[in-house]
Parts: sequence; C-alpha cells; structure tokens
Amino acid sequence: MLQANEASGFGRKLPSYQFDAAKVIVSLDADFLGNWMNPVENGVGYGKGRKIDEKNPQMSKHYQFEGHLSTTGANADERFTHRPSETGAVALALLAAINGSVSAPSIADAKLKAGIEKAAADLKTHNGAGLVVSGSNDVNVQIVVNAINAAIGAYGSTINWGVTSNYRQGVDKRVSDLLSQMEAGQVGALLIADANPVYTYFDGERFGKALAKVKLTVSFSERLDETTALCQYSVPTHHFLESWGDAEPKSGLVSFMQPTIHPLFKTRQWQTSLLKWSGNDTTYETYLRNYWSGKIGSVELFEESLSRGIWETPGTVSAGAYSGGALANAANAISAAPKVSGAEIVLYQKVSIGAGAGASNPWLQELPDPISKACWGNYALISMKMAKELLGLDLVNGSEKSKNNYEYYPQKPVIKIAIGEKSVELPVLVIPGMNENTIAVAVGYGRADSLGKTAAGIGANVYPFAKLNGETVSYSNAVEITDMKRKEKIAQMQIHNSYEGRLDVVRETTLATFKQRPTEILDARNHLKEAYGGKEGDFRKEGTLYGVHANPGLKWGMNIDMNACYGCGACVVACHAENNVPVVGKNEVLRYHDMHWLRIDRYFVSDKENPDDLKGVVFQPMMCQHCDNAPCENVCPVAATNHSSEGINQMAYNRCIGTRYCANNCPYKVRRFNWADYTGADSFKNNQDQQTVGKLNDVVFQMNDELTRMVLNPDVTVRSRGVMEKCSFCVQRTQAAKLQAKKENRPLLDGEAKTACQQACAGDAIIFGNVNDPNTQISKVREENPQRSFLVLEQLHVLPNVTYLAKVRNTDEIIPGKGHHAKPATEHAGAEEGAHH
Amino acid sequence: MSVKKFVVGNFDDEAVLFPAVKKVRRAGYRIHDVFTPFPIHGLDKEMGLRDTSLHTAGFIFGITGTTTAVSFITWALTTDWPINFGGKPFFSLPAWIPITFELTVLFAAVGMVLTFCWLCQLAPFVKKDHFNPRSTDDTFVMALECTDKTNDEELIAFLNSVGAKDVSVQYRETGWWLGRYDQDTVKYGKKVEAAS
Amino acid sequence: MALLRYESQARPPLVDGSKDYHQVTEDICRPVETKPSKLWWVGFLISVVLLIFGIISVAVEVIYGTGQWNLNKTIGWGWDITNFVWWVGIGHAGTLISAILLLFRQGWRTGVNRAAEAMTIFAVMCAGQFPIWHMGRVWDAFFVLPYPNTRGPLWVNFNSPLLWDVFAISTYFTVSLLFWYSGLLPDLATLRDRAKVKWRKFFYGVAAFGWTGSTKHWQRHEALSLVLAGLSTPLVLSVHTIVSFDFATSVIPGWHTTIFPPYFVAGAIFSGFAMVQTLLLVTRKVLALEDYITIEHIEVMNKVIVLTGSIVGIAYLTELFMAWYSAVPAENFAFFENRLNLNSPYGWSYWLMMGCNVLSPQIFWFRKMRRNILLTFFMSILVNIGMWFERFVIIVTSIYRDYLPSSWSTYYSPSIWEIGFYMGTFGLFFTCYFLFAKFFPVIAIAEIKHILKKNGESYKNNMTEVEQEEINKFGHDHSHDHGA
Repeated sequence: MLQANEASGFGRKLPSYQFDAAKVIVSLDADFLGNWMNPVENGVGYGKGRKIDEKNPQMSKHYQFEGHLSTTGANADERFTHRPSETGAVALALLAAINGSVSAPSIADAKLKAGIEKAAADLKTHNGAGLVVSGSNDVNVQIVVNAINAAIGAYGSTINWGVTSNYRQGVDKRVSDLLSQMEAGQVGALLIADANPVYTYFDGERFGKALAKVKLTVSFSERLDETTALCQYSVPTHHFLESWGDAEPKSGLVSFMQPTIHPLFKTRQWQTSLLKWSGNDTTYETYLRNYWSGKIGSVELFEESLSRGIWETPGTVSAGAYSGGALANAANAISAAPKVSGAEIVLYQKVSIGAGAGASNPWLQELPDPISKACWGNYALISMKMAKELLGLDLVNGSEKSKNNYEYYPQKPVIKIAIGEKSVELPVLVIPGMNENTIAVAVGYGRADSLGKTAAGIGANVYPFAKLNGETVSYSNAVEITDMKRKEKIAQMQIHNSYEGRLDVVRETTLATFKQRPTEILDARNHLKEAYGGKEGDFRKEGTLYGVHANPGLKWGMNIDMNACYGCGACVVACHAENNVPVVGKNEVLRYHDMHWLRIDRYFVSDKENPDDLKGVVFQPMMCQHCDNAPCENVCPVAATNHSSEGINQMAYNRCIGTRYCANNCPYKVRRFNWADYTGADSFKNNQDQQTVGKLNDVVFQMNDELTRMVLNPDVTVRSRGVMEKCSFCVQRTQAAKLQAKKENRPLLDGEAKTACQQACAGDAIIFGNVNDPNTQISKVREENPQRSFLVLEQLHVLPNVTYLAKVRNTDEIIPGKGHHAKPATEHAGAEEGAHH
Repeated sequence: MSVKKFVVGNFDDEAVLFPAVKKVRRAGYRIHDVFTPFPIHGLDKEMGLRDTSLHTAGFIFGITGTTTAVSFITWALTTDWPINFGGKPFFSLPAWIPITFELTVLFAAVGMVLTFCWLCQLAPFVKKDHFNPRSTDDTFVMALECTDKTNDEELIAFLNSVGAKDVSVQYRETGWWLGRYDQDTVKYGKKVEAAS
Repeated sequence: MALLRYESQARPPLVDGSKDYHQVTEDICRPVETKPSKLWWVGFLISVVLLIFGIISVAVEVIYGTGQWNLNKTIGWGWDITNFVWWVGIGHAGTLISAILLLFRQGWRTGVNRAAEAMTIFAVMCAGQFPIWHMGRVWDAFFVLPYPNTRGPLWVNFNSPLLWDVFAISTYFTVSLLFWYSGLLPDLATLRDRAKVKWRKFFYGVAAFGWTGSTKHWQRHEALSLVLAGLSTPLVLSVHTIVSFDFATSVIPGWHTTIFPPYFVAGAIFSGFAMVQTLLLVTRKVLALEDYITIEHIEVMNKVIVLTGSIVGIAYLTELFMAWYSAVPAENFAFFENRLNLNSPYGWSYWLMMGCNVLSPQIFWFRKMRRNILLTFFMSILVNIGMWFERFVIIVTSIYRDYLPSSWSTYYSPSIWEIGFYMGTFGLFFTCYFLFAKFFPVIAIAEIKHILKKNGESYKNNMTEVEQEEINKFGHDHSHDHGA
C-alpha cells in the first residue's frame, strides 16, 4: 500500500480511514475488522454506521469481495466470492464500472459481475461518502484502488491524508534486499527487535540460513522464538507491561507506555541496550522523559500527558494530491497476470493469533475463531462444493447420517496442501461462503517448541506458502490438494451452524423488510402479551401464577446490539481476564469442557438451494441472561444460586456441590462447570495428572504456576473443581462502583459500573446499566429501539434481563412474512419464517 | 420380670387350637399367651386381647411429621432467611408438598416401628425365655398360668382334653433380659428350671 | 366384611407339593443352613470383583473430578442419572409387591415378597450411589441437609426437585428397610430356634430381637404391616413421581411434560417386575424353591409386566401426540427429530427402547409364553435393557439438542469410569443379594404358612368336602369372623 500510495502521488504514507463517514464500504479482500490496519479503530467507526435509528432507519452498506470467509466478510451486507488471484481483476472491473478509465477484464461469474456493477453504482450514487479498501499486498491492485477512491470522492471525506496512519512503514522489498545482502555476506551486524522473520517471512528458512552469514546477530525478543534461536545473542527486552515507550500510531497522536510492574526477570529494554552500546549511559526512561518534556513544553505537561496516556495535536482534513499516472501500467500488469486454475490457498490472520504474536497467549489460543468457532489449532477452511468433489463429503444433499457424522464428531478429514516440495497436512472445516476453489489457512501456528507449552506443537506453519509477487509478498498461492484419507480432531466450541429458523432465538432481517414491516418483531412479542398477558397485557406479571418480586432501587440490565457486534471476541477475552476463568486446553475443549462465560454464537444464514452462497452471518453474544424467573435458581438443592434484589443471578461458589441441575435447566446453556482441577485450587494434591481419561494439556499447568497466577484478578474468587460458574454481570465491578458512590455519599452514576465485555467492545455493542433509572443509556436504548428489541426465548417467561437488538443487514431482499396471524400463536418460533430465503 | 410356673400345651393344627382357646377361656383359665409360627386371624379376638393402638400411634407420628415439615420450611423460607429462588414467592407451599408428604410417611413409619419394638420388647440382644423352640416352626403353643387357685393336674388333663399334645409344666421367665442366644445366659443369675 | 379363609379349588395352588408347616420351614431354611455351593461362590466372587471395579472408578472420579466422565457443558447428566433412575425404578417393584399387593389381599405375593423387598433395598442402595458421587464436590454433600449452622443459618432450597429427591429416597430406603426387616423378624426367629452352630445362634439371636411368636405381638405385627403397607403404597407412587419431577419441573422440551409422574411409576413397576423375574427365576432353580415360587407366580408377574409395559407404550404414544398437537416447535423437535428420526445421532436408542419396552412384552398376551421360563428370563433382561434406554433417551436426547442450536453438543458416549461405576453398582447389588440369599430366607416363611391351608396343593385337594357343605356351616367354619 505504501508503494501504491507513493505511485499515486501521496507519498510513502498511509492515510486515516473514516469508516463512520462512509455510507458505502466496498472491501476487496480487506479484513478491516479483523486485522487490516487498526481493526479496533475501524470497528468503532464501522459500528457507528451500523446503528439504526428506528425513526429513520438507515445504515451503511458494506460490500465484500473475497475468496474466503473472513470476520469482516461475515458482517458484509452483500458478499461476492472469487478466487484470491482474481482480486486484481475485480478491482479493475470495479474501476471500469465506475468511470471507464480502464477496460474491464472479463469476469466469468455472472453473480460476481452483477455484484461489481451494483457496488459501482452504489459508490457513484454516494460520491463523497464511499470508501473502497483492499487487503491485497499487490502494488498494482492498490494503485487501482487508489484510482477508485479518487473517482468516488473518498479522499478528503472518508480517507483523510491530513492524519496519516503509521502502523506500517516498511515494504517487502527492503526485506528481500536485506536477505540478498545477508546471503552475500554484506551485512556485518543484525539487531532484531519486535520481529520474527525466520517464522513470519515466507522464505523464513532461507532467512534462517542467511543469519549464519552475518557476523553479529542479536535478538531482543522476549521469547526464544524461531529467529532468536538462530541468533548469536539473545538480549531479551522487557515485556510490554514492564516497558517505557512511545508510539505515534496516527500522526499527531502520541501515545505513551509506562511500566505497570517492575521487571520480573533479568531483562533490559532494547532501547536502553542501544543507548548503552552507543556510549550513552542514560536509561531509556530518562531519555524518553527528557525528549518529550522538551517536545511538549515542560516536565509538568509531560507528566500530565503521561498520566492521560496520550498527547494529541489536532490534525487537519486533507484530500491529498492524487495523480493517476501509474494507473495504466498497473492495469496492464493486472490484466497480464496469468490466470490460476485448480485450487488456491489464502493465508489469513485470525483475530486472536494475528501474525503469530498471539500464539503464546493461552487466552488467545482458546478464543474460538469467529468464523470457524475452532481454537487451539489451524485447519483448512473449504467450500461445500470442494468437500463434495475432493472428499466425497456432501453436506448439502448427502444423507442426514453423513451430515450428522461430520458435525457430531470432532474428527475431520485431513488433506495435504502442497506447493512443489513444501507441504502440510491439515484437517478441514467445511463452511459456507467460501469460493469453491479456495482454501484458507490461518497463519501463526506450527511454532517451535522453545516458545513454550502454549504455542508449541499447535497447528502447522503455512507461512512458507506465501510467495513473492514482483517486489511484494503475496499471501495467496496456487496449491495441490490431496485427500489423505485419515482424520484429525478439530477443537470447536460450537458445532451447529444454523439457527434452524428459530425466531425465538435469533431475529435477523433485511433493511428493506424492516422498512416494510417495522413492527414485525414487536407484533410477535405483543402476541405473547395477548395470549398470556390477560387483562392488562403485561406478559411479565400475568404470564405466571406467582407474584413478581420487587426490585426497588437498582436493577441491572444489559442490551446487545447485534448490528454493532462483528464477532471479534474481544469481549470474551476481557471476560476471561476479568473473572479468572480457567484455560482448559485443547483436550478439554475437544470434550466440550470449555469454560467461556460469554460466548459469541455464530449462525450462518445460507441459501438452502446453494449453501455455499452465504446471505449473512449472525453474531449473538450469549451470556447469563440473569433471568428474573431463572429456571436454574429453582432447582439448586443447596441454594447456591439465587436472585439478588438488583436483578442479578448470584452464584455462591463455595456452596455449590456440583449436581449440574442448574446447567441442565438453563435454556441458554450459559453455565459452565469445573470438570477437572484446572486451577489447582482444590484441596486434593496432585490431581491434575489423570492419564486414562481427560488428560490435561501442558498449557493448563502453565496457567497455574507462580508467575502466571499473577494475572488473576484479586477481586474475583478462583473457583475450585466441581463448582458451577457463569457470567455475574461483573458483580465485583458493580459492587466496587456502588461502594465508591457510597463513600462519596452520592448516587451511582450511569457508566460507573461497566462490565468487562462492555468495556472491551470496539463496536459499542454492549450497554449495561440501571434499568430502573429512565435516564441511563440502557433505558434510553431500550426505549428508542422497540421495533428491534427482542428477548431470547421470551415465551418461556424466564424474564431475562438482557435485551437484544435484531440484526439488520442492508439488502433489498424482502423476507416473506408469516402471513396474517389467524391462529393464536402460542409461541412465535415458526419454522417457516426465516428459513426459506 | 420373674419366673413363673406354667402349664404348656402344644398343638399342631390351628383348626384344633382355635376351639381349644375358646374352651379354655370358657373354663375360666387364664391364658398367659399363645405362641404361633404365623399370625392366625381372629385368635387375638378369641383370646380377648384388646385391639392394638399402634394405628393411632402411627397416625399421631404422621401428623407430627406433616406439622414439622410445613412449619419448619415455612419458618426457614419466609421468616429466617427468605431467598428469591427463580422469582418464586417466599411462601411456595405447592413446592413443599413432596417433602411434607415424605416426612409424614417417614415419621409415621419410623415412629410406628420403634413403638412396635418398644411395646413388644424387641431389640437386638434382647433375650426371652421360649416355651417351645418349635413355636416358630410348626407348633402352636398355649401357656396357661398356674396360680394358687389352679391345680396342675387339672390343667394338664383339661389341655389334653381339648387336643393339646406334649402337655408339660414349665417354669419360665416372663420378662426379657440382655443376652446372647449362643450362650445360656440367665437373668439375675437365677437358674431356670425346665420341668418335665 | 370379613375375609374368606377358603379359596376355590378352581384356582391353582400357590404352594406345590404336599407341604406341611414343618416342610415349609425345612425347604426354605435349607439354603440358609447349608454351606454355600460352588455356584454361590462363583457368583459372589464375580460380584465382588465388579464391586471393586466400581470402587476404583468412583475413587478416580472423586480424585480427578467429574470430568473423568464424558459429560459436557451441554449434556450435564448422562449415564449417572440414567442409572440412578433405573435403579430406583427397579426398587419400586419390591414395595409394590409387599405393600400394594398386601392391601389388595393377593396371596401370591407371599412367594416373592421377601426377595423382592430385599431387591428393593439393594436397588435403592445402588441408586443412591449415583446422586452422591455425581456431585462435583461430594465432600460437601451434607449441604443438602437442613441443619442449623453458623452460616446464617443457611438452609436449603426446599423448592428444588433434587432436594425432594433427597427426602424421598431416604424416606423410601428407610421405610423399605423397616418394612422388610419387621417382616423378617419372625423368620429370623425361626432360624434362631433351629440353629445348631454357635455363631448362627448368636447372629440370628441378635437379628431376631427376641421374637417369640406371642399372639399379642403378632397382632401388633399385623397392624404394623398393614399400616406400613398403607404408607408404602403412596410412597411408591410419590417417590418415583418425585424422581420424575427432576425432569418434569424443568423447562427443557422432552423433560417438561406432565405425563411423567404416571409414566415413570408405571415404568418403574415394569422394570422392577422384570428384575424380580430375573432374580427369582435363578433363585428358585438354584435354591430348589420351585414349589414356592411356582409357575403361577411367574405367570402373574408376567401379566403385570405386559400391563405396565403397555401403559408405558401408551405414555410414549401420548408424548408423541402431544408433541405434535401442542404445535410447540421446540417440543416437536425434541420428539420427532431427536428421538423418532432414526437418522439423528441418538435415534437408534429411541427405537431400541420402543422395541424392548413396547413390542417385546406383548408376547405375554399368550398364556403359553407367560409360562415359559426361558422366555421369561430372556424377556426380563430385555425389558430392563429397554427401560435403561428409556431413561437414557429422556435425559440425553432431550438435552443434547435443545433451545439454542449453538449449544448442540458432540456425541456423548460413556468413559471407562462411567461404565465402571455402573458395573460397580451391579457388583454391589449382587454382592448384597448373594449375601442375602445365603444368610436370610428368601421367602417369607411365616407368610407362606399363613396361606398354606388356603393355597397349598395338598389342602386344595381336600377342598371337595368343603364345597359340599351347607351354607351356614360353611360361613361359620370358614369365614374370618365365624359368621359373627
């Protein structure tokens, strides 16, 4: 991108992207919510555009063109698949459709062609409010994309050159040049910090060999990673939580890092090392302070910025100076590129593992990928068509038994992926929404043993399948796939992918349908009131034999906007970190013993006739609903779970004797049981070494040693074996906030108690607060969104305290309604509506 | 309690025993007891025994159980520590019916059995004097008390006339004591004479 | 109205052979008083081995956690509660035979009630193992008892069906034990009085509590038995009803059905009688008690089996009907997809259940089949297998795919420790039963003697003269109150 921007006249820089200003977003294989540029910033902006004001329903339109199903693609309104090698052709076709400045290449797929034309028309209509991004690492493609953005007036409106993004500043050519120089013996010394080229570079093996030719090699990595193992010296730097530092992610926004803990081991900040070696005896801290105090103005001002964490100088909005000179050559290069036949592989980054940095973090390894819901390993994502042709696995028209066998057993067929001599063998996962010739494998796996118990031996390293395309590295390639006729287990946390038309669980619709029948969901809910609400139409009070307990004062409630949630899983990790949720390891996840209090249920909405064609993906964060008529509370024999006067379903860990009746009775299945001694916290010594059944992975022990136990939140109990646990609405935080307010002799303010998941969500999907106060954000959200609000399984009258806002995707499709309700619907979970699209 | 003298007659058919009991009673002799290997319907009436009040005791125990259950649960869940379980009201009597019923039955059963054992003087290590070990096998044993007013020979003759076999005079301990059946333990150190 | 002590010659005898009271005593006491046979030793040792396997399995589970079983976040109960309900159900037949048949004045119960009651007690002991060891923190099991404590005092949740289970099962065990033992007292006295060896005199002397056979004591004993029977009858119905409430009061489709109480009780009687058949067919052969546990007994129990099996079958069909008629999609799914659909992962278990429980007992409509020993034995095993699968179907197929499709679970099959635990309860049951058959009379001696004159073969042969008696004389001689 840097080179493309340079060629387009902007200089070797990256701009800021304003997703919130974009009414039409076209992504050409850019996983901008997953790992492209700054996904969190993108998510915040994108989320704003997805929120719907019921009085004037509008939302941004997101088109995605890609070969594999990425997290971003899952959230797209309209999605078109193509081969990864066709990205360039798609970009050209789009530009041609917009302003004809290049000749359109032939696109064989009619659907794809129509999609490109539709996207082009939309961009033209919304000139100045459109944004086209591409994740391609091909300079020519990015040049074409720049031309598109210029043509649609994105520069200065949705793309701002006044504030540059500084996340990426290097280009691939520099690395390949370095490699040649190293091999030629021209490099005397190589110092490596924050990089692991032996692993992440596509020709890592070659790099590793070349290191031997450098006279002095020093690695500053904290871990004994693949590169460090081959360097002469390892001078480990501090962990980022022990470090001083500065960063300017966007021009004008300087961010400061300061340590939160004294260095635990014998490490030294690499910056201090450099200072020392250059003859300057100051510590980096002093150096940093002096520099910035000078820059900002004074020591006091620096201290203030340091405590705030940032120092901002406001930027300007600038459209930059676009020049289309490089366009023609780029277009020709793309058209001339050879077409690929056969299978193609796409190497993608998982939201959790990224390029490989997350591989040593057990929380990230255990976070299920939003698309595959699999963790602790990588695998090949393949289309349903490929599954049938290559593996004889027909998940569309095959027998129910064969479909069930695929779904219910963790063993999946293994394929060999080969390019020439290089090959890996990985199990497959068949998902809709894949291009039929594409397989996708995540990078970041297949690490060296020296990286520790978490990362070692998990998955396979597929970086070697990237290739050099001109001067840049391309992360897609043509491959040969063979069926290895054996199976390997994939640890998935969710195995069923469809919500089976159960409207009482998920409500999703299109914008057109919503505009046409805005009260559909509300009507369905009112039916319940009519059927059971009796005289006053109060389903809550009258749909039961019993009275209703009063909730004077505070009543906690939560609202989740399914439109703003794009499934990244940050909330899940936040919940883990906040609540000391144990990591169970791959073996236990395979046995369906995972411990996630909060999970993101992912449902594919697919065309029954052509299931590879994905209409949409629904992400539904599901946690304890804190039901006022909780079925779990009633059945606990020892009164370990009951309801507080603030509406929270309380769980008394030290009372629980582990009969698991509550988990069985929970219709949402949000309760998690400590099946084994994951934390080492029980009073039985040495009971983590079971061999016959349920052998625990090494990572479980790693999470419980003296060092890693420091990550535990002291405000939250560590549960022992045999005890049930679940989301507590971060009761430690609500209590702390109440206590603080009490000490200060004032009422609790809205937003003082934030749950961990709410705090971590970039899309601002989760809102939590006091529902008894009409001025809180949660009350307002519920009041302002009656047409999209629904409760999951409302008909059970368990009275959950979590409301959801229906997912609306911006398409013109009108979903057929249920017709007029002649029969008194007792439950509105009709199997017809929503299933036949 | 004490050793007494008895005239003991054995019968091997209840059809003979039954009228014999009638005749003995009409003759005015006091039947100490009749030992049978199995219950014979109507024999207790025939002997003039009053009806047992075990039924009443059982009923009272049962009612105690019901009251205990309902009052305790009510107190515990409405007064002492009311807890909101799934939105149910604090006083949720329907949910307490199973436990109430079970406690009624439990109290009644245990109470009755203990009362039964108490009344019949039955317990482990309780030993009693037996008139005829075959009274638990196939012999019906009638024991008549020998008082000052009775004449042993008369009694023996009378019993023989009503159909008894092996009529004998025995001295037997009427009460119970703690002992083991594998040892010849005696109560209070007294020896028991077993006459002919 | 008084009970007739006369029974028509037309009804077949319940005690075969020409027995008198002494013979009855001899026949039934002989197995107790002789040395254990080789067969007994083989059976006993196998049971002990199974028991030891069970103890090891439980120990592993308690040390390492419930995760040693293959239960998971969606399927929280599997083999553990299936086995629990299975064993409790089996136990109910014993109480039914003792109590309900006593109230209905069925003489045939006397041949089988002692063994059946023993079976009940052992079955409840086995059943009780499961709720105890399936707990995640079994050392805190005492939390279920409402005793005053320093934590508030914190009482228990009386609204919880599991707590009702605690009271129900302990009451059931206690009452069954008391009923069984109070009935045993006279028989133990018989053994005590016949004992020649020192340890027998001691053991039976202590066990018999000093029973003498006094009429007053018999009177109280009869009253006690009658009231205990009257208490046990609603107990049978209530205990399994309460066990069914574990499921019926939940919200899970497939569990949340009001038909469960009668359905479970009928099923309990069904499986219990089958187990009684299994035990008694072997016992009568090995202990040479065919004269007391006659073909009549076998046949009439088979009649009960076909009756209760049919009730259970009707219950299954009712469930299916209601699942359809209710038009509740979740309910419909639980029955037609999770169970009826043979292509679903557990569809096979539903059809196995149907075959064993509904179809196979229908063979007992035919008299010849009812009186066939080998067939009865085979059927009794089949019925118990079917009933095990019924509980498995109810528990697992309802819960592995319930409301939220995201929670639908992977395939559940038991781990070695779950199987070991179950085998261990068989070990416990049969160890106890073998010990029972060795040291206690398996037939109620006193009760047999009680019906001998009416139902014994030799006495029936002499009934012709009675049948020719004049009416008033008949009433006087043979009615319970002598015409009073």
